[in-house]
Amino acid sequence: MENILEIKNLSKKYKDFELKDINLKLPKGMILGFIGENGAGKTTTIKAILDIIKNYKGEIKIFGLDNRKDEKKIKEDIGVVLDDMFFPEILTPNDINSIMKDTYNNWDSGLYFKYLTDFSLPKNKQIKTLSKGMKKKLEIAAALSHHPKLLILDEPTSGLDPIARNEVIDIFQDFIQNEECGVLLSSHITTDLEHIADYITFINNGKILLSKTCDELLENYGIVKCTESEFKKLDKTDFIKYKKKKYEYEVLIENKTAFNKKYGINTIDKITLEDLMLLMIKGVK
Amino acid sequence: MEIIISNSSGVPIYEQIKEQIKVKIVSNELKAGELLPSIRNLAKDLRCSVITTKNAYEELVNEGYIKTIPSKGFYVAEVNIEIAYEEQLNKIEKMLDSAVSIAKMNNIPRKTINEILDILYEEEN
Amino acid sequence: MLGLIKKDLLIIRSNLKILIILFLVYGVMALQGEMDVSFVLPFMSVVIMMSTFSYDTYNKWDAYVCSLPNGRKNSVSAKYLATIILLTITTIIITALAVIISYTHTKAVNFDDILMTVFGPVFATILLQSFMYPAIYKFGVEKARIGIFIVIFGVTIIASIIAKFINFKSFFQKLDALNNYWLIIVPIIMITVLYASYKISEKIYKNKEY
Repeated sequence: MENILEIKNLSKKYKDFELKDINLKLPKGMILGFIGENGAGKTTTIKAILDIIKNYKGEIKIFGLDNRKDEKKIKEDIGVVLDDMFFPEILTPNDINSIMKDTYNNWDSGLYFKYLTDFSLPKNKQIKTLSKGMKKKLEIAAALSHHPKLLILDEPTSGLDPIARNEVIDIFQDFIQNEECGVLLSSHITTDLEHIADYITFINNGKILLSKTCDELLENYGIVKCTESEFKKLDKTDFIKYKKKKYEYEVLIENKTAFNKKYGINTIDKITLEDLMLLMIKGVK
Repeated sequence: MEIIISNSSGVPIYEQIKEQIKVKIVSNELKAGELLPSIRNLAKDLRCSVITTKNAYEELVNEGYIKTIPSKGFYVAEVNIEIAYEEQLNKIEKMLDSAVSIAKMNNIPRKTINEILDILYEEEN
Repeated sequence: MLGLIKKDLLIIRSNLKILIILFLVYGVMALQGEMDVSFVLPFMSVVIMMSTFSYDTYNKWDAYVCSLPNGRKNSVSAKYLATIILLTITTIIITALAVIISYTHTKAVNFDDILMTVFGPVFATILLQSFMYPAIYKFGVEKARIGIFIVIFGVTIIASIIAKFINFKSFFQKLDALNNYWLIIVPIIMITVLYASYKISEKIYKNKEY
């Protein structure tokens, strides 16, 4: 299967932070959930993809093209929502339309205004009068209205209430009804991703800890809760991380079935992405 | 077509989808030749990932319940209902087998097992 | 690029009111024979344009603009062009005003005078822009603003010290020899400085990270 986005060995050094050998693949027609704590390197990676930061090592290919050499061509087909950014607040959604129609070749004003109506956003009010959630929706509308093939979304659901999050996620799923399209979605709100993400890539402290299909993760990984004596019997190779709690041990395992067969322990909990993140970051080995 | 997905049950979602479609085919609710929703459409409607529905469909194809016509979609296959029925019976037999062996190991009389079965059936209704 | 120019002009839309009011006040003053201070208009237009940098910084627009097709490439030229557009409009307005004043006062149009009143402020404004923009791209709005005040202050002091030792009168008298050519010299200097400033800004922006 062809990848719509492919990152090979991306590295970037800062004084107090380093992105190390990031590898990431997003096949066509899929949603990739990019998860990690705040400050783990999600935004930096996204900024490298979009050439917002410079001087990084590695190769980034979008639609099979180099992200720097074919920049203009690529960016015509990318829709972007950046974390922590908004349009100049003094402008109105109407103004955004007139700016964007002279920015993207394929800008579709009709579609843009349809999104505004769907999201019940005003056309002529200054952006500064909108709520945080409405601003996010406006950015999403703007990101979608030039018929992009790749959506790159940095925390697109932050600041949205559950109802708005739901609407937005519906839109992303609508978006990949077209098999040629793909979505890279970074979030620390993992429940959004559990349902719709095809792949999960987990970044921590500038390094990719794990990259798998979401189904594989949720089905195979598990949390075993056991006593200290039970824990001491476990082979070190049979678990990924553990956390000692007041009354029990929480152990993160990679394969529920194999674990069950070997140890006969039945109390293996299903995992959520949040558990996974917590144990991977806070757990020890 | 109704498919009900539980996120809290331990059963993987693709398996839930697969089993429910299977039941609908065996019970003839889905008839041979009928077009199934596309992988992407189903994923959207069930609010799950595309890979999940793809897995479910792929397994159904492998087991012969549905067939794929390239660039058209997935259709319900001609399923030999008797064979499918047989398959379900086999499954029940296997599960009862382990139930019976637990009963024998613990000297639980057959009467008790029958009672349990009766209760379970009544609950279903 | 057009989109980006529009963005800056739309941002300053609300500030244009101030420009129009200023223009009306100055116009009336000038027509009634008071001092003609309409020359501040070009200066004001660049100051207003500089406020768009503050909006950009506040809203982290620069990161976003880099994600647009040719965004990084066009961002700087759009900013310079938007400024020039605004400057051109205000220049046309003050020229027209100067023509009217000249006509109402003397019943004739003295083009030399008009060019003098218009060219001076426009030249100064373009110099200001040419120094400020690269500084803003390099150091950010806040630091650049403080920096430029320090520079202007320093230059004034140095100039006044130098003035004590050099006879400016003879210096300007020598310059008088160029009198017939300044209509060519000033625009050439203006364009060169502006172009150099643009190239420097572009170079700074090209490698900047947001």
